Amino acid sequence: MSNWKCKRCSYENRYPVKNCKRCNNYHSNDSIQENNHWHYNHFNDATVFEDYDQFSSVDQHSDEVIWIKDSCNISVQTTDTQASVSLQVGLQLAIALVVSIVIGDSDRGQAVAQDIYQQFNDEQTNRQKIYIDNSNDVNIVTTDTDLAVNIQALLQVLVSLVVKLDVL
Amino acid sequence: MSDSSKKTNAIPDKVIDLIVSNTLSKNGVDLEEIKGKLTAEQKQSLKELVEELTLQVDQFVDKPTSRKKDSK
Repeated sequence: MSNWKCKRCSYENRYPVKNCKRCNNYHSNDSIQENNHWHYNHFNDATVFEDYDQFSSVDQHSDEVIWIKDSCNISVQTTDTQASVSLQVGLQLAIALVVSIVIGDSDRGQAVAQDIYQQFNDEQTNRQKIYIDNSNDVNIVTTDTDLAVNIQALLQVLVSLVVKLDVL
Repeated sequence: MSDSSKKTNAIPDKVIDLIVSNTLSKNGVDLEEIKGKLTAEQKQSLKELVEELTLQVDQFVDKPTSRKKDSK
């Protein structure tokens, strides 16, 4: 199996990969295009043809700064990002499980699961800065709304699937 | 849609319903045929799975953190 070099980061990737493993840059190197089956129509053994990536990727960045200065009686509550990410993975696994149970672990089952995940390819960036200076008795509660929305949407898909199957 | 309709959802239920229906029909999935194939045991475990995940999501959305700090 031959390798191809990413144009952006020069990382050596193995075939058949459409996007660079390191920087996710779309592979469009003209010099080795003749070896790249993704650019030709005779790539017939793919299960699902996707518009962009071959996998569901939810890119999330969270940046949090909390600065408390010359203050007392301060309470700050922020979202536990790790817990929410694992909840999201749990939901994705559950959707895959439901699809696999009802359709079977066939090409069609994979196509359905992949089609659903494609709707959720998105990038989220959360930046949060909290400055408390020269204050007293402050209570701050923050929620990572974008993550919560994503999780709610995945749950909606799961519920919708099982309702259609008369499970709920 | 069942129990999630009582609170405000991130995306309207109708949108999600249409996406799921469209995805299934696009891939030639016959829901009636699959309904017949599901055993009572499978239905029960799926129900429990969804209920547990719903509970976890509700807890997460309502209470963003479990690490409450006392402000004395």
